[in-house]
Amino acid sequence: MYTQIENEVDRRLTDQPLLECLGHAGVGVFTIDADGCIRQFNDTAAEIFGIDDNTPWDELSITRIDTFLSTGLGDKFPGLMASGEPFVGTAIGCTNPNGRFMVLNMSCQPRTDGVGGMIGVVEEVNTSGRRAEQVPSLIRELELLTEVSAALSSSFELDRVLKVIMTAATASQGLGFNRVFLFLLDSENQKLNGHLAIGPSDAEDAGQIWSGLESKRQTLRDLLSSYEDSSRQHDEPITELIRHIGLDLSVESLVKGVCESGRWANLENETPSDGPTAALLDALGTRCMALVPLISKGKLIGLLAADNLITRVPISNDSVQLLQLLANQAAVAMEKARLYDEQKKRARELMRMNSLLKESQDQIIKIEKMSIIGELTSAVAHELRNPLTIIGGFANLMLKSELSVDLRDYLGIIASEVRRTEEVLEHVLDFHRSSQHESETLNLSDLVEKNLKLCLGRLHQSDTQISLSLASEKLMVHGIKDQLAHATYQLFRLVAGELIPSGSAEVRTERRENNAAVIVSFECDDRAKQQLTRALRQVFTDNKASQRLTIMVAGETIKYHGGNLGVAAGADGVPSIYLELPLCEEG
Amino acid sequence: MAHRILVVDDEALIRLLYERELVSIGYEVTTAESGTVAIEMATEDQFDLAVLDIEMPGLDGLATLNRLREAAPQMAVILNTAYAIYKADFQTWLADAYVVKSSDLQTLVDQIRKVLENR
Repeated sequence: MYTQIENEVDRRLTDQPLLECLGHAGVGVFTIDADGCIRQFNDTAAEIFGIDDNTPWDELSITRIDTFLSTGLGDKFPGLMASGEPFVGTAIGCTNPNGRFMVLNMSCQPRTDGVGGMIGVVEEVNTSGRRAEQVPSLIRELELLTEVSAALSSSFELDRVLKVIMTAATASQGLGFNRVFLFLLDSENQKLNGHLAIGPSDAEDAGQIWSGLESKRQTLRDLLSSYEDSSRQHDEPITELIRHIGLDLSVESLVKGVCESGRWANLENETPSDGPTAALLDALGTRCMALVPLISKGKLIGLLAADNLITRVPISNDSVQLLQLLANQAAVAMEKARLYDEQKKRARELMRMNSLLKESQDQIIKIEKMSIIGELTSAVAHELRNPLTIIGGFANLMLKSELSVDLRDYLGIIASEVRRTEEVLEHVLDFHRSSQHESETLNLSDLVEKNLKLCLGRLHQSDTQISLSLASEKLMVHGIKDQLAHATYQLFRLVAGELIPSGSAEVRTERRENNAAVIVSFECDDRAKQQLTRALRQVFTDNKASQRLTIMVAGETIKYHGGNLGVAAGADGVPSIYLELPLCEEG
Repeated sequence: MAHRILVVDDEALIRLLYERELVSIGYEVTTAESGTVAIEMATEDQFDLAVLDIEMPGLDGLATLNRLREAAPQMAVILNTAYAIYKADFQTWLADAYVVKSSDLQTLVDQIRKVLENR
């Protein structure tokens, strides 16, 4: 940048374009007036001569400056001005007024344009050497960024992305920080919350981790690709250190400044004036720390904090700058990972909806089938009603007339069997009628209690033989209430009417994993046990048994609702009946 | 004098069964195989009560019930059908009683007695 002393009086417009043009040049360009004072100069010349805005005017004499630079120009200036000869100095070793050692090439030419004085060029010849020295470290930084970039591009998982960045920041082959802490933004509460940390918790831990890593002789690429092995097992205690730290961004602080400005800060053994930053350093037990914001698409997403607590190596600005580069990459990768995660969630949701749709389709097909079967059953049942009425009716009529004993017995059998068949038809029609209703969520215990009472009342039985024990928690199931009521009623009717004449039973409801269950257990002696086993076998397996159709319909109803109705062997050899239905979410 | 009952059913054996049963307990019974015939009979003759089937070809029981209410308003009607579902149909409320068919005719007989007593 072109620089000019404020009180300079004889500035020539003819020089300005040249100096502006050379403002960014790698060489210093300057003019000296006839009195031997430096008048105009570019940034490079200012840096070499040790001039800044505060340098007094009287200190800009070439003679004074040359007392530091020892180029010889100060002494020769009057003679050269008189003779018109140029000044050339090469490889002049010197120390400028700021105490910086340098090797200079300088060349000055007396002006012949009538202005007077000299125009000169000065070059620091060791710059190129210094740049050459920087090449290996620049290559190393470039390699580091390349490796990190490659590792980041291989994963969309947020956890892995974070670990890659933090491993790169802590690995000796990377930035070599002792510890790195990641805070993520909770935008709702305007807070940065401690999320993840890598590094040893103390010197002993450091010795173990680092000697372990040293013995493996892994490259940065190895470390980044196997980050789980190298870091995960060690990072828990240190992550715990920041897990409960929340940095409030609504309060003015250095941390807030870093986050808002997007510029890193390097705290070098200082005590921050603001409370939140001081509290953070206290919590982490350090006084030197680099703070680097994580910003993606102009939005703050987090903060990286790094220190060298164990080795006490000062944190250089160069390494913080590099950490910022890593943080920039991390922010992009994190944004990518977030989008990937969102896509994954959407894909999962789609799959879930797809499966729900499939289930619904299956359910609809099932309902359609049930509906057709129901219609068919209903039609058949009605068609059978007339012939049964006729057969049974005439049998009853005949029973009223004078008949032989045998004939009376036979007609009695016909009439009673017809009546039983009519009852079965009644149940089938009940089931068909109940399937016309819609599903609802209901408490199975309530249903059981109500139907058991109803059943016992209709059969004129007291509850002395059948006891009831209901689950303390609600057993919410989803289904067609009338169908489930019909199934449970038929089950209790079977129990009360057929199975317990020689014993007693307990009906209880309970939760069995993801099912609501109704269990009917029996208490009886050995003889009754045999009768019970036989009766249950007939009802559940023998198609000729009178109650078989009723229980089949009940079983199909329970199966239709995703459950099961069956017989299980009890511990004491007494069989029990179980009815299970899947618990719905409300249960 | 015995009550006169008109049994209306398309099923001949049902008609025969009801006739035998009701006659055996002292009623005078006439049968009709369709709703149309039943309306004609009720118009020409006087009956105390009709036992009327619902599912019949041609004029069904509910339509017949409506017409009978006009043709013979003094006559009681008991709907007698294999279908319990018609009970929910408000048209059946015009009838004096609703009995689902069964081989046990006692329910029907009881209803006939009750309806006739209440008239």
